[in-house]
Amino acid sequence: MSENPSINTPTKKITINDREYDIDVPENMPLLWFLRDRLELTGTKFGCGKALCGACTVHVDGEATRSCVIPVGALAGRSITTIEGLSDSDEHPLQKAWLEVGVPQCGYCQAGQIMNAASLLKRNTSPSEQEIETAMQGNICRCGTYQRIKKAISVAADELAKEVS
Amino acid sequence: MRPDIEGFLKAERTRQAEALEQTTLQLSLDRRQFLKVSGLAAGGLFVGVSLPNTSIADTKATVFNPNAFIHLQENGDVLIYCGRCEMGQGISTALPSVVADEMEADWSFVRVEQAEGDQDKFGSQATGGSASIRTMYEPMRKAGASAKDMLIAAAAKVWNTSSDNCYAKQHFVYHKGNDNKLSYGELAPIAASMEVPEAPTLKAATDFNYVGKALPRHDVGMVISGKRTYGVDVKVPGMQYAAIVHCPVMGGTLRSLDKTEALKVPGVTAVVEIAPLKVPFGSLGGVAVVADNSWTAQQGVSKLKIEWDRGEHGSYDTDAYMGELIKNVEKPAEKIAERGDVENAFKNAAKTVSATYTEGHLVHAPMEPNASVVAVHDNHCEVWASTQSPDDIQSVLSGFLGMDKKQIKVNVMICGGAFGRKFKCDYVQEAAAISKAVGTPIQLTWTREEDTKTGYYHSNSAQHIKASLDENNNVTGWLHRIAFPSINTLFDPSVQFAPANAVSEIESHPFGVTNLRSESGLAPAHTRIGWYRAVYAIFWGLGFGVFADELAETAGVDTVTMLNRLYDANKNPEQAELVARSKAVLALAAEKSGFGKALPEGEGLGIAVHYSFQTYVAMAVHVRMKGDDFEVVRVDNAVDCGQVLNKDGAAAQQEGAVAMGISLSKYCEVTFKDGAVVNGNFDDYPVMRITDMPEVRTHFIESDAAPTGLGEPGMAPFAPALVNAIYQASGKRYRSLPIQPLRT
Ligand code: FES
Ligand code: FES
Repeated sequence: MSENPSINTPTKKITINDREYDIDVPENMPLLWFLRDRLELTGTKFGCGKALCGACTVHVDGEATRSCVIPVGALAGRSITTIEGLSDSDEHPLQKAWLEVGVPQCGYCQAGQIMNAASLLKRNTSPSEQEIETAMQGNICRCGTYQRIKKAISVAADELAKEVS
Repeated sequence: MRPDIEGFLKAERTRQAEALEQTTLQLSLDRRQFLKVSGLAAGGLFVGVSLPNTSIADTKATVFNPNAFIHLQENGDVLIYCGRCEMGQGISTALPSVVADEMEADWSFVRVEQAEGDQDKFGSQATGGSASIRTMYEPMRKAGASAKDMLIAAAAKVWNTSSDNCYAKQHFVYHKGNDNKLSYGELAPIAASMEVPEAPTLKAATDFNYVGKALPRHDVGMVISGKRTYGVDVKVPGMQYAAIVHCPVMGGTLRSLDKTEALKVPGVTAVVEIAPLKVPFGSLGGVAVVADNSWTAQQGVSKLKIEWDRGEHGSYDTDAYMGELIKNVEKPAEKIAERGDVENAFKNAAKTVSATYTEGHLVHAPMEPNASVVAVHDNHCEVWASTQSPDDIQSVLSGFLGMDKKQIKVNVMICGGAFGRKFKCDYVQEAAAISKAVGTPIQLTWTREEDTKTGYYHSNSAQHIKASLDENNNVTGWLHRIAFPSINTLFDPSVQFAPANAVSEIESHPFGVTNLRSESGLAPAHTRIGWYRAVYAIFWGLGFGVFADELAETAGVDTVTMLNRLYDANKNPEQAELVARSKAVLALAAEKSGFGKALPEGEGLGIAVHYSFQTYVAMAVHVRMKGDDFEVVRVDNAVDCGQVLNKDGAAAQQEGAVAMGISLSKYCEVTFKDGAVVNGNFDDYPVMRITDMPEVRTHFIESDAAPTGLGEPGMAPFAPALVNAIYQASGKRYRSLPIQPLRT
């Protein structure tokens, strides 16, 4: 990796999937590339690099964020969750619903879709179809799995409702 | 383990150890030679189904490896290779499930792996033309069935009876006369010494366990946990990362390059000029920057100072070009085919109708941009690529690197979408050029902008159709002129007109018109043209589908009536099946969509049928106007793809075709100015989002005809059905797509 420009100041830290890492790359490197090329966490995908497609969506302190445009240096001390850390053994209700509905085609956009949907369900446990569409419109799927994404989010929301009651 | 087979196993192991030694010896021979020596045809008999039962690919002596596709372990685990490339169409579930079904394997013991590039072993791996199911279904059945026959023969040997007294079911072979059974794992080593049957016993359709059902994809679990590895995700030791900027114009050249600033970026290790490689699927030419991560490489590229000589296509302007295409189809063009006497039909017509339809260039824009890892060594090269055609990678790299195809190992990675783009391996050849220059493995990932600007574009097109009707509103004459730069130009730049075989769709279309003429208009290419999901069927579907609706209006009948009239007029016995199956999907889509029922103001239901890639699809599209904009409410599509192998996967392909159909009908168009592509990212090349997604309902014709593919056929009928629906809802006829072009 490149030399850290802030070599004389104490190394900043970032927490990713509950593990702490040194930010040992140029601070203006977008989080996406720190994840993919430095930590080799490749579940988070590159689609556009300009916050236009959602393929790179991760959680920053629980909230869906496009990792391709946010410099890793700005996230010192923050806690990041990627698809690899969403659940311990793929038992997040959304992951289960994704399996049940058979959402993915090529699958490339799906980590971003799931991370964004997870953030939605945190804010709103029973979103309407309209609310799902509004929340998910930043995530492109070129394969066209949108119908199943909507369905799977509803299935997961129902599951959550059952767990609560 | 049962004691009665212990003895067999011991003998088997000795025999296999000997066989293994033999195999190792044989492997030093040329592979083809070996196959000849052992008296087994390689190329002649399809896809390695006839490979010798001594294991070549796997050296584990306890593995039953009846052919290239199946590896059965002693513990019962089965590894099944998928020879065709996966890009989201589900082929790596569909084909292995056929193997497993015929083999009577229990799917829960099956693991699927993508085969590396090796056409001698796996048959053609080039994945396109919706051909995988069509061409591989029977060979995969035979591969599975021969394994089953050998397992049965093995059990028969153990029980000292004949195979007829045994049957296989879900990973066991049973004795018909008593309650003995042996598991596949137990039988594996014995089966390995059984003869490969020449004509394996295929199942009756009623006995299928997986075929025809909605078997879940084998890889969904990996996808939802972020563990599915695409070309863009591959990491190999010592690898460096590269980014690239291409010459913006086909045929342009590098005039000057100043790399000083790029080399100053910390982490950048090299700048590599990539010369254009003038073979199909070779690089267009560009400049790459190598660094210790992709982002730094991209930063380096942005610091390059480059001047290009744009060359002979430097004035390509798609608006002006479209004007030319329209002119060229609204006047006589090169005659391709004629039957009857069109002029006479027009002279005697009660009415004539004519219309011109146009569509722009499209770029594939899969979510994963072009990416691969290539490691060039002295005498060999290893590739990890998202690809639709490993064999083309081997061909192009063998020419470029001066190596034998066998020295190029291609690890086939799943494509994060491809749609035809990843058939062409320019991005892999570039990675090879960089690896060769810097001496380390290279991962080259294109940016979205490069992906958009350096494509192999779907042809832009203009077509003009004129038809005559008699006083009973029967269609008597049909003149169809089309102009589009064809894919042939990629292989022969001197091609100026779409050739006869690219235009034959007109004369072979199942509409029955006695007097018909097809013509091809002047359309030279000024950029690289390539296959895009459904290829030319996109504009054939639009032309035939919308014009049928216009004819219906002229005749004062509904579109379904007009379509049936056109089909019924076809008296060519050779097209009887084509007509019957087209009519059947039309009827099913009409019925399921409630075609003909009154709709509220501002709503419309359009319908269109298209036969492509040997599959029949009719779509009924229901739209609701929202001012000038519209919303697609529901799509009912009826499909006849013969026997359906996987209902869920098939439906997914149809949903995908609708989504891509909405994108191309409503938004997508690549425009060129001064020879270069104007669009760059999803802001100026918008594609449809979840807010545009209608309810898609897929209805299959029950059929036991040979199965055909679905990767593309859903594309063609969507756009015309949409255009027809909007016309019904609003009175506005969109003859030029996209409906909402974005002008930058
Ligand atoms: S890669 Fe970040 S939004 Fe597209
Ligand atoms: S599944 Fe392929 S892009 Fe969404």
